[in-house]
Amino acid sequence: MRRTRLLMAAAALVLLGFLGFARPAAAQESKTKLSHPAEECIKEIEAANSIDVDCQKAPNPLLPQANEILWGVVGFGVVFGFLAWKGLPGIKAGMNARTERIQGDLDAAEAQRTEAGTVLAEYQAQLAEARTESARIIEEARQAADEVRSTLQAKAESDIAELRAKAAADIEAAKTQAVADLRGEVANLAIAAAEQVVGHSLDRDTNVALVESFIDSVGATS
Amino acid sequence: MSIAVLAATGLTNKGVAALTYGLGAIGPGIGIGYLVGQSVQAMARQPESAGMVRTTMFLGIAFVEALALIGFVVFFLAGA
Amino acid sequence: MLALEFPPLSHIVNWPGFAGDGTLWEINKVVLIYAFAVLFTILLFTLGNKKRLVPTGAQNLAEMAVEFVEDGIVMETMGKEGIKYTPYLLSLFFFIFFTNIFEVIPVIQMPASARIALPMFLALLSYVIYHGAGFKSHGFGYIKHALVPPGVPIALLVLVIPIEFISKFLVQPFSHTVRLFANLLAGHILLVTFAVLTSGLMVGKWYAIFSPLPLLGVIFFTAFEVLVSFLQAYVFTLLTGVYINAAQSHEH
Repeated sequence: MRRTRLLMAAAALVLLGFLGFARPAAAQESKTKLSHPAEECIKEIEAANSIDVDCQKAPNPLLPQANEILWGVVGFGVVFGFLAWKGLPGIKAGMNARTERIQGDLDAAEAQRTEAGTVLAEYQAQLAEARTESARIIEEARQAADEVRSTLQAKAESDIAELRAKAAADIEAAKTQAVADLRGEVANLAIAAAEQVVGHSLDRDTNVALVESFIDSVGATS
Repeated sequence: MSIAVLAATGLTNKGVAALTYGLGAIGPGIGIGYLVGQSVQAMARQPESAGMVRTTMFLGIAFVEALALIGFVVFFLAGA
Repeated sequence: MLALEFPPLSHIVNWPGFAGDGTLWEINKVVLIYAFAVLFTILLFTLGNKKRLVPTGAQNLAEMAVEFVEDGIVMETMGKEGIKYTPYLLSLFFFIFFTNIFEVIPVIQMPASARIALPMFLALLSYVIYHGAGFKSHGFGYIKHALVPPGVPIALLVLVIPIEFISKFLVQPFSHTVRLFANLLAGHILLVTFAVLTSGLMVGKWYAIFSPLPLLGVIFFTAFEVLVSFLQAYVFTLLTGVYINAAQSHEH
């Protein structure tokens, strides 16, 4: 701000100086030393007593001056040579290096992001695997327990059934034995009784057959 | 009114040249005004194509302006 | 009337030599301006050639300029195949711009392009380059490519070919030269006119109070001439690009 104000003050002073030192109208001619051609031209004008002389005429501005073309070629050549050789490749190299660096940074960030993503996915996969594994183990344990329990149960049941069947068989056997014993006893008793009654008229085999048939008919009717 | 008549009425060669340059500048003036106006309209309607319109506008101005500048040069050839 | 003496044109743009007066290697003000332009370009591109990540100062300026020429001129007019002309267009732009901008730099205040030598040389060089590019791209068919626009009825060719020949081979370099030369000369004369008017009013009479008015004109037109200096350098370079493209392109 202070600098701006100083500049403005300086500009105002310069303006005032311009107005203050306004030249008098007559002081147009400069007193500086004139160059050689200019002096010659003044002499020529004085000789001809007219300002319409050749040296006073402006050269046509549409005609180029040889020295200006020559130096222009040199100057442009230098500029072109410098820019083509050093200037443009240098700037372009700087710009390309920046682009590449930024691109590289972006790529690195992208790669890191991708890597982090894969690591996360891997970790999550591992976690899920562990979870399914544990679930599987629990399931297996439960199945094993179930199996053991059902085996034990089945064994117990079969044991019970076996015992029961054995008991029933024993009972049946005992009953059959008892019936057989009873039948034999009854037959003996009957034979004895019949022997007593009939007295040795019949031989033993015939008696047994008789009684058997009798008992069978009794059994069939009963 | 021919150039000779103009000269006879006291107009110098320089004056005629200046006058002719002034006349010659009318056409390019109108042309550049119309060209820039239309370009501004195009840029206002389609700001996304402003860059292309601007380049073309400068090209057009350069071509139209050449006419006025050739007049300027002719002024130097004839008068100055 | 006022004691106004407009200097003859030779006093505005024609400068006596410092050294080697009258010889081919005469050094005058215009040559000095060329030297400054060369120096400025080399300085800009030497100071700008730093490889900092965030460009500042000269580096920023140089990179902006390179991007402007490459994206705004080369890509805009020629596209990808014009990249090899970038050094030429870049040096055109900088040489013209720096020689132009001396129009408003105090003490020197003279655009080198207000002398026809530089625009003529650059236009002729561009003329050679773009016709060379045309011949390189099309062989001798380039003459047909340049003179016969497609889709013109045979009967009209009698009319079209001479017009195209005059416009492409004769008028084009002339207008290319004159556009730069006359713009800068006109701007320079404008500034001189206002300066002479300001100076002429400062004569210690009562009307000296009006002298700030043309002074304001000088200030305004100085700002305007900065724009013109830039714009003419841009237009000259742009037109060179357009001409090269027209010469070497395969579609019309």
